[in-house]
Amino acid sequence: MDFEIKRRTLLKASGAAAVTLAMPGILRAATPTVKVGVLEPLTGALAYNGTQSAAGAKFAAEKINAMGGIKSLGGAKIELVVVDAQSKPEIAAAGVDTLAQQEVCAFTGSSSSALGLASTQAAAKYNLAQVVSIGTAETIVSRGLANVFRFTPGINKCTSVALGNLQKLNEAAGHAVKTAAIVHEDGPFGSGMAKILATELPKQGIEIVETISHPTPQRDFSNIALRIKASKADILIPSNYLNEYTLMAKAIHQQRVDLKAIYSILGGAASNIKFVRENNAIAQYVMDCNHWYDPKKEESKELTKTVAAAKLDLTYDIMVSYASIQLIADALERAASTDRQKMIESLASSTFDKSIMPYGPTKFVHGDNVNSQPVNTQVRGENIELVFPKEYATAEAVFPIPASK
Amino acid sequence: MMKLNSTGQVVLILVAVAYLLGVYFISSPVWMGFTINALIVAVLALSWNVTGGFGGLSSFGHAVLYGTGAYTSAILQVTYGVNAWVALVAGIAMAAAVGGFIGALAFRYGVKGSYFALVTLAFAEVFRICAASFDFAGGGSGLQLKLAPGISNIQFADRTVLYTFLLAIVVLVMLLTAWIKYSRFGAYLVAVRENEDAARALGIDTYRIKVLAMAVSGAFGGLAGVLYLQLWLFIDSSIAYGSSVSIEALIGPIIGGAGTVWGPVLGTLGLHLIGEGAKTLLSNAPGLNFVLYAVVLICALRFMPNGLVGLAGRIGPFAKKESKDA
Repeated sequence: MDFEIKRRTLLKASGAAAVTLAMPGILRAATPTVKVGVLEPLTGALAYNGTQSAAGAKFAAEKINAMGGIKSLGGAKIELVVVDAQSKPEIAAAGVDTLAQQEVCAFTGSSSSALGLASTQAAAKYNLAQVVSIGTAETIVSRGLANVFRFTPGINKCTSVALGNLQKLNEAAGHAVKTAAIVHEDGPFGSGMAKILATELPKQGIEIVETISHPTPQRDFSNIALRIKASKADILIPSNYLNEYTLMAKAIHQQRVDLKAIYSILGGAASNIKFVRENNAIAQYVMDCNHWYDPKKEESKELTKTVAAAKLDLTYDIMVSYASIQLIADALERAASTDRQKMIESLASSTFDKSIMPYGPTKFVHGDNVNSQPVNTQVRGENIELVFPKEYATAEAVFPIPASK
Repeated sequence: MMKLNSTGQVVLILVAVAYLLGVYFISSPVWMGFTINALIVAVLALSWNVTGGFGGLSSFGHAVLYGTGAYTSAILQVTYGVNAWVALVAGIAMAAAVGGFIGALAFRYGVKGSYFALVTLAFAEVFRICAASFDFAGGGSGLQLKLAPGISNIQFADRTVLYTFLLAIVVLVMLLTAWIKYSRFGAYLVAVRENEDAARALGIDTYRIKVLAMAVSGAFGGLAGVLYLQLWLFIDSSIAYGSSVSIEALIGPIIGGAGTVWGPVLGTLGLHLIGEGAKTLLSNAPGLNFVLYAVVLICALRFMPNGLVGLAGRIGPFAKKESKDA
């Protein structure tokens, strides 16, 4: 079989091929994108939280893009640049270099205070805004860095709200709780919390009868459970991470420790549906004061469905990360620019009140959102219900734990 | 500074030098950032090399020296307002003292080999728990230095200046390592590694030599800890005394070539380059980079028993079969 390729045919074919090959570029040009960074620990000790957070950011970006993108930028779609902080502060800081090189306009992250401290400082050198999704250490916002915007409450606010709510619950229950045992991990989070509790609980008339610290990871909680049992504490206040919280709860159940309440502040598993699903009997009536969305908002309900469709656990990491991208999108909309300085100015003047979180209009004072707040949740049946504040509540709090339990 | 035995070693070192100088010309904050991290780890690796490489005293707990340097400097600066340079010297001195103390205690009772490794591991863990428990060390919350850029505070706003500073320190520590290697002390240390009984029979005070080696190693390790602190301005017990620090300390020299001057630096740089390359290559699959990293590590251990320097020593016209002279 002979083929004769004529010059004209060749030119036509080449032209058609060139147009075809150029099409993706032309299409890309038609839909501008704006890069937003997500710096999370996708590997290492905090991998679970980081992966969940990255998923939350993805859901938010998809939702915003489906709604028409950033309108002031010609409908620009949000393109997430996800970087793994590997659960190490120095890698988190190095991740900021990657984000800066990728020319993101702002970024969110990074699931822990130690990572946040390093990343915010690294970002300051690039004048790059970081919306701190989770980072409770107050030092994150006390260094005078203009690029830091902590969207969620810090440890001081979480603790004061949690203790205030505990006092209300205890008063309503006729001061059923008189003694407390504190179990905390020996890192920055747990130790800091234990210190605050040691000062504040006696002011409420609650005597601390046992304080136990443990490292992370800790695999055997039998002795800790026995010490709690021996202390005859009415309430257990744990401050530890997901795995340790789960193992501790199991040990308490196995040792038949009789408690009137388990009340966490920023608890590792108490607001985690995976814990509830896998340890349902143990998890019943566990209370937590933590980051949580407003379950009554339509967008929250949509997110719940999206997360379920993606076969993921709905955790506060997803909620907070989702809301952080919403905040960045709003700032982009108002800045109408991807310029870093304009983004910082836009975030600093933010009064955003349409996030899925139960917050008032955003107001950053020295980088801290003063209108953020933690809420109280309680495990009830298969669900995690919001019990405080009342305007967002989906159930009445049960305190103390019913005797039959 | 060194005796090069083969074309391979010359090429290897030239590549490393070219890379380190090339960072100035590659306008990439990513490369600059991860090389800065690698340089701090290189100082720690050089610290491990003094005991583990020259003396055959393999430590699994070099974090104790690294963390002590960092914590001493942090406590002095945060609690007592001491100048950063003075705190740096104090951090180095305290880490050297702790190294000497651990050595004196362990070697006094004839602890050696894997038992010595376990003793150092235990010390690192004890120090970690103490740092997390005592208020003067910040407890579990760690210690945070004030952000105050300036040479007087050893905080560099310009990353090129910071890089130059760290590079100069690595060169300085390498020069000290070379001096140790070719000094009488270094020869005694190698004698202890090769056959301690024979060394003792020849009149070497092996106990004193080993304790001194731990102190020198402590000084280098403490320096690495202080550099980390000055770079990130924050430490807590896990960052300073965590087991990952001890692993990083020994892995560089083992891959690069323990008991050589260039080995720890080449190993650390190589591993960081592989890690970064794997991360870039597999950016859509976080975690897989560690798998690739581990495969490379296993291959390196299998096929390069004397590390990169040993392998390079077998290449070229003047190659020796086994070389530890780079």
